[in-house]
Parts: sequence; C-alpha cells; structure tokens
Amino acid sequence: MIALERGQLGVMRVHALIVGVFIVAVALVAEAILHTAVADLVFGAIGLPVLLLIAYPVLAAPPRRYRAWGYRIDAEELHIAHGVWTRVETVVPLARVQHIDVSQGPIERNFGVSRLVLHTAGTMHSRVVLPGLSRETAETIRDEVRARIREDTL
Amino acid sequence: MNGGTIADRHVHPATVPLRFLKEAPSTLLGLPAAFAYLSDVGWATVLSFAASVAVVMIFVNWIIWSRFRYGVGPGEIVIEKGLLHRTRRSIPFERIQDVDIERGPLQRLFGLAKVKIETGGSGKDEGLLDSVTLAEADRLRGIIRAGKGAPSLGAEEVPRAEPSQLVFAMDVGRVFVSGLFNFSLLWIAGLFALLQTFDDWLPFDIYDPGRWVGLVDQRIAGRFSTGAILAVLLLALLLGVVTGVARTLARDFGFRLTLEGERFRRERGLFTRTEAVIPRRRVQLARLQTGPLRRLLGWFQLYFQTLSAGKDGGGHQAIAPLANQSEVAGILEEQGGFRVPDTSELTRVSSRHLVRTVLPPLVPILVLAILFPLGWALLAALPPLVAVALLERRFHRYGLLSDLLFVRRGVWRQQLWIVPVAKVQSLRLSRSWLQRRLGLATLAVDTAGAPAMNAPRIVDVREDRAQALAAEIAARLRAQDSGRKSGTER
Repeated sequence: MIALERGQLGVMRVHALIVGVFIVAVALVAEAILHTAVADLVFGAIGLPVLLLIAYPVLAAPPRRYRAWGYRIDAEELHIAHGVWTRVETVVPLARVQHIDVSQGPIERNFGVSRLVLHTAGTMHSRVVLPGLSRETAETIRDEVRARIREDTL
Repeated sequence: MNGGTIADRHVHPATVPLRFLKEAPSTLLGLPAAFAYLSDVGWATVLSFAASVAVVMIFVNWIIWSRFRYGVGPGEIVIEKGLLHRTRRSIPFERIQDVDIERGPLQRLFGLAKVKIETGGSGKDEGLLDSVTLAEADRLRGIIRAGKGAPSLGAEEVPRAEPSQLVFAMDVGRVFVSGLFNFSLLWIAGLFALLQTFDDWLPFDIYDPGRWVGLVDQRIAGRFSTGAILAVLLLALLLGVVTGVARTLARDFGFRLTLEGERFRRERGLFTRTEAVIPRRRVQLARLQTGPLRRLLGWFQLYFQTLSAGKDGGGHQAIAPLANQSEVAGILEEQGGFRVPDTSELTRVSSRHLVRTVLPPLVPILVLAILFPLGWALLAALPPLVAVALLERRFHRYGLLSDLLFVRRGVWRQQLWIVPVAKVQSLRLSRSWLQRRLGLATLAVDTAGAPAMNAPRIVDVREDRAQALAAEIAARLRAQDSGRKSGTER
C-alpha cells in the first residue's frame, strides 16, 4: 500500500482544528452565559472538560487516521484502505468507473494535495474518494483510468 | 447525433379534454361552493363563472398541447415544449433505459396511452408523452428498441415485437391471496391517532396503563366497555385486510410477465394498466423474498433490480408478487440461468458472529449489574439475544457458484440475492474494531441501482475467507473485462 502525501496530514489537522475551535468557542460562550447566571460557577467548569474531551480528536486522531489511509493501483484495480476503528478496504475495478474527477479545496491547495473521486454506476458507494495525492499522481491515475473507461459496462 | 431532428408531431388532441377532465374536479368543483359561501349571488352567476373558468382552462390546455411537439429522428427522440421559455430536449436512444406505457381509466376510454421514456438520470418526467394513441405508443417503443440495436432504421419499417412467451401470470384468486399478505397495519395506527386526537373528550387517558387495567376491571363510563374496544380493534384489523386486498387488486390485477426475445414485459393493474419493459441485460440482480407466513405456504416474491429508478420502489421491479417455488425457478431460468441454490451449496458465516452480536449489549448489562444489584435482572435479556444471534447465523449464508454470487439473509423476512458477478460495480471489505479482534469481516458488493439499506452484504464471515472471496470476485471481473476488451477489438 502506498501512503498518502505528507500534506494530507496537514489537511486533516486543519480540518480537525476547525471543528475543535468551533466546539471550544461554543463551550466558552456557554461558560460566559452560565457564569453570569450561576454565581458560584468555578471558571473553566465547562471549558476544561470540553478541552480535555476534544484533545484526542484534534491532536491524536489526525495522524492515526492519516496512517490508516493507503492505496494501491495496478492495471485492473484500485485498492483503497482507510479507517482507524473500522477498517474499510474498497476494490474498484477500473473498467467499472463511469467518470472520474480530480478536485482540490482551498485547504488542500495550501498543502499541495488533490483528491481523486471515482464514480461507479453502483449506488451504495458510487463515489469512491482517494484524498491526499499530489497533483501529478492524481492526474496520472486519472489518465490511466480514463484510458480504461468503457462506454457501456451496464 | 445530427441535432436536425424535426419535432413535428403533437400528442393526441384528445389530451386537451382529458387533461381538463383530470383537473376539473380539483379546481372547478370548489368554485361554486366558495362563491355560494362568500356571497349570496344567484346560481346562474356562479355557473356562468364556472363555465368561463372552464373555457380558460381548456384554452390553456390547448396552448400547452399546441406548443408540445415531439419527433423521432435517427438515433434520438426530440421533445419541444414551453410557451415563452421553449425547451428542446433530445434523448439519444442509447441513453434510454426503459419505455413504459401507462393507461389510466380515462386514457383507456379514449384509446390513448401515456409513454414514459426513462433514462439513467434521476429526474422525473425525463421524457413524458401524455398522451398518444396506443398504436403510436407501440410504434415509438418499437423504434426506440430497434434504434438501440440499429440506429439507421427508418420510422415506418419497424419490426413488430418478437413472438412473446408467457413466463408468469397471476389469476384473480392469486392476486387476492397476495393481497391478504399485504395486510396493512396502517388502519390500527390511524385509529390510535384518531383516539389521540379525541383524547380530551374521552373519559380516560389512553396512554395510562393503569387506567386501561382499571377500565377492564370496572368498565367505567359504560360506553367504552372491553367489548367495544375489542370490536374497534377487530374493525381496524378487518379494514387492514380489506385495504390490503383492494390495493393489491388495483395494482396487480391481471399480472402478466412475458418474454419477448431479450426483454421481459410486465403488464398489470386494474384501473390503471401499466406496462413495463425490462431488458434482460439490464437486470442487475434478482432478489427473492418471503415472510414467515408466506414461507409456510410456499410463496415467494421475486424482484429484479434495474438501473432506472421506477416510481414503484426504486430500481426494484416486482417480477412475481406471489409465486411458488417452481414458478420462481421458471422465471429465474429465463434470466440467463439464474437459480435458487440448495441450502447445502451455501456456506454459513463464522460462528464468532454470536460473540460479535451478543458482546456489545452484554458489556453495558454487566456494568449496570455491578453498579446496581437490580441490574442482574437485565441478564434475563441474554437468552433472547443469543437465540436471535443463532437464528441470524442459521439463515445467513453465502456462496459463489459459477458466475453467481448468492447471499441469503434474514430470519423474519428471508431474502436471497442472486448477483451475477459481471454486474458487480465495486467491493468493500470492512472490519469494525470488534470484528478485527474476532478475525471477522463484512463484505458488501455494490451494484447499479442498489438501494442504500437493502443491498447484499455478507456480515461476519471469517476474514481470510472474505479476503479470498473478494479476490475471487475481483479476479473474475478482471478476466471478464479483459475478455470483452479483446472481443471488441477483434
């Protein structure tokens, strides 16, 4: 299995951080409101537990999640593995791909990574996403897959 | 395509009065009542007003009719519509998944039919011709079908449909029996909703069990005796049966499944006759389903999953609403050698499934038992949990036999999926935290048109076996795809 680009770790950290900052902000607002309402509330009674609770998802989880990702591509199939608690391995036969996107969000652009989205005709997981590729790798894979896409696989 | 197809045909002129008749009850009938209520004008005024509304409605419908044109060109069908905002839609024949012909009671009266052209897209009314003569509907369907094979066919020299062979049919008695199984509990729910609405007027609280007991004991308030409540429940039950039968009769009356060359054709319906065409090669998988009562009597329901999302249940087409074992086998045989495997041919999932399902609820029960002395009583829930897990495993089997993947699952509602390996779109092997500790895995195969909830999944199979099965399916897909590649290049 090939690991994702290092940049993807940064993307995951930023994503986790955004959620974390949001939660802390909500906790602080709640604290401020309760502080005026309940006089004998110790400062940090809400903020501290919340900080402790989000420490794992914000600090420890991104590297673990990042390490859990991996992919392998050969002439016929794309294998993708991800998931820390629930391990998921997806096999996409390249001949079954209907169309294919390479996309890049603002945070991803900042870290120099792109994501590859494979669309199959299936419905349960018709969008198979492989994030954290360098632009060149994503485009190479896209071109390889495009060569294999057939018009009528149904 | 050349884009020069001329849309020169109108739908049948009778569509104008037909649409009017359809809309009239909702718009026109309310008017006199509204007027009579609002002011005390004479009936003559009201009637003349209604007449003028009717004239306007007919005129609007006529304009819509006159601006709606369609045409069939080489390889495509073109529909033009709209008064100010004209749209021109061209649907290439290759993109068309199904052509359905539907005939409501009014349409049957006029000898007309509604033609629905379905493409893979999810939008409604992608191509709707409402309504054309039956002959025109048949002609269009013929052209589209022929066009999919040979795009250069002229409009008039359409080959008539191949001789059709009856595969399955249901007589009235069978539809009636099928309706009995479709008993709906909706009436009981409705009754309780009604009771809740009139809660304030009742002399008791319907959600207070103590009151219920008291009610039975003392028969308070006279009018709500036990007998009366039983009678109401019985009535709801009866209504449930009657509506189930009525609904099924309306939908499945005269159910006929025929095979014409490479396509199944299904006709059904009492008031609205619908006709659906299911090309054999578009069938993604077959699903055989039976409930406890049906199973006891040897009845099954058969569905085919197709790509296009029809209005009745996603891409699932009812192929046989109620059929016995030999009939099912007969239909499946026609679909490229599908079959129902013998139980002995299929493999059970791992016995560790028991641990995987019982452990998660057991842990909180034990924690509670340690914390509170009364918590030990919760252990009484353990035997049923174990029993359910054992039953689940007993009925959950899978097998990859020649080119078909079989998955059987469900205790109460037993289902069997028959998936041709060639139709598998992707494979997903997932292992939860507990599954990894137990060396188990869940394998899900994705197919086109699969519903999100009820798709074939093999749960809690031993990890090495799941890996091997996934690898085997992937290998067969590889072999098939490369085979087709060399086949088309030659």
